[in-house]
Amino acid sequence: MLEYLRSYMSQPVTPGEAGNFLWATIYILLVVAGVSLAVLFMNWAERKALAHMQIRLGPMRVGPHGLLQPIADAVKLLTKEDIVPVGADKLVFYLAPVLVVITAWTVFLVVPFGPTYAVTDMNIGILFMLGVSSLGVLGIVMAGWASNSHYPLLGSLRSSAQMVSYEVAMGLAIVSAVMMTALDGHGLYGVAANHLETSGTLSMIGIVNSQAEQGTWFIFKFFPLGLIAFVVFAIAMIAETNRAPFDLPEAESELVAGFHTEYSGFRWSLFFLAEYSAMVAVSSIAVTLWLGGWLRPFASVHGPQITIPGYWQGGALDFAFSLLPALTFFLLAGFCFIGFVRMPKLPALRLQTLGLGAFGAVLALVALFLLVPAVRDRVQPIYWFVVKVSVFMYLYIWYRGTFPRYRFDQLMKVGWKVLLPIAIGVLVATAVLGVAL
Amino acid sequence: MSLGPLLRKIFFVDLFKGMAVTFKAQHPDACMTEQYPLERPVIAERYRGLHRLNVDPDTGQSLCIACDLCALACPEKLISMTSERDPNTKKKVMLTYNLDLSRCMFCGLCEDACPTDCLELSQDYEYALYSRDGLVLDRERLEKGPEPTVYLR
Repeated sequence: MLEYLRSYMSQPVTPGEAGNFLWATIYILLVVAGVSLAVLFMNWAERKALAHMQIRLGPMRVGPHGLLQPIADAVKLLTKEDIVPVGADKLVFYLAPVLVVITAWTVFLVVPFGPTYAVTDMNIGILFMLGVSSLGVLGIVMAGWASNSHYPLLGSLRSSAQMVSYEVAMGLAIVSAVMMTALDGHGLYGVAANHLETSGTLSMIGIVNSQAEQGTWFIFKFFPLGLIAFVVFAIAMIAETNRAPFDLPEAESELVAGFHTEYSGFRWSLFFLAEYSAMVAVSSIAVTLWLGGWLRPFASVHGPQITIPGYWQGGALDFAFSLLPALTFFLLAGFCFIGFVRMPKLPALRLQTLGLGAFGAVLALVALFLLVPAVRDRVQPIYWFVVKVSVFMYLYIWYRGTFPRYRFDQLMKVGWKVLLPIAIGVLVATAVLGVAL
Repeated sequence: MSLGPLLRKIFFVDLFKGMAVTFKAQHPDACMTEQYPLERPVIAERYRGLHRLNVDPDTGQSLCIACDLCALACPEKLISMTSERDPNTKKKVMLTYNLDLSRCMFCGLCEDACPTDCLELSQDYEYALYSRDGLVLDRERLEKGPEPTVYLR
């Protein structure tokens, strides 16, 4: 048994490629648990950050600074009555949220959290992600249709129109990034070209590896081109996930809640889960394609060689970066302890204060654990991937707090008349530059 | 479109400006929220809140001389009282006092009419109730004054 467990550890590939079902299952469970946790945390973070942008406090009552609010929400949703409208198409009504969640989670099979930290590495990875995530629109249309109600139907129709039209610009932006994997030459028009034997790839891990080999993230490659493609993708991905300012399918002021108006309790929470998982998924596509995936900033710079006996041997810069995960957790623990000290000394808040202190202690312990050499080296890629994705998550909240919603014709105009031509132009320019340089 | 606005549009200048506004709003000092049961607002001295019948702090006797001026002053006729003449001191003594809050608009005319500063509108603002019965205040409740709820959980 132990032997079988260890059998995969020595192989430098993903469990999917190694054909190791046990480890693949473990990875799948880990990824699903991680994504669910991220959704829970995102629920809290969004409410807090959005509240702060609107000069409010957000959840404050359930746990210190509302930290336990998502758990309370989850309990509330799970114990709520599950209402199915009388005129609803029952089977489709049941299937829709399931389909949405399945598609939102399946894409995580190929998301590379590190050189070997993916469930599997497909040679059509990015194509698989796009294909499966666009199936989600089917679930939304099913939900809108099966509800047998005006607002959900309108919401789902808007959603399908929006997702289909933005998928085109998104796909073209992705093609230009995929093309860059096959093109030699540095970010600044081949000034420091490595003249590698390059070959194009659609595999998510392969794309990040080619960014590592070329020594540049694709956002900086062929300078404005990679950036423009990234911006096109960044806009299209917000539209794809139906988030503000493109949240017409669930525009509260017009459509009550859009396609999930008739859903309640657990089924509604499945839609919620799917929406936020999809946000994480498209953010990880953006991170993988343009921001170097699990690579740390300045991955090709190592600094002078230093040796700390029994702890580190290698570049000084590498060492500094390898300490960052632990530092982050120490920082979080520090915040918890500041809150612990500054909490008003009221008997009513005693339990919360103690809980916050305990949480800080747990975070500090995690930070110490991250300093263990074996853990430190393994957690590095995951850390950078998560940091980059979290930046995108914050941007999602930030956009929602800032921008007013587009009108539907404006939305279509931006999709077809602005983003699509720009994406095609970038694609052509990338091809020309790649061949010419 | 001239060049300036075009460039502004291409480089999302206005969008970034908007984002800067919302980012700055996140500063903790900008927050206006009052955590009500934990933090209580400072109520102005002349705020017209729930009525109170003042009691002489030295003797514990009511300051009311049962002149009935408050009842006469009330535009809604919400105050009713009974009194009797004390045989020893020959002074009128208030026996019962009823005040119906359900139609009270807190105009403060009763307070102005009181010659002895007995009836006063206090700073208490927590008089929400689940039934109308509690809105008729008797002498005991009025003399006790405001009882602010204590935040426990």
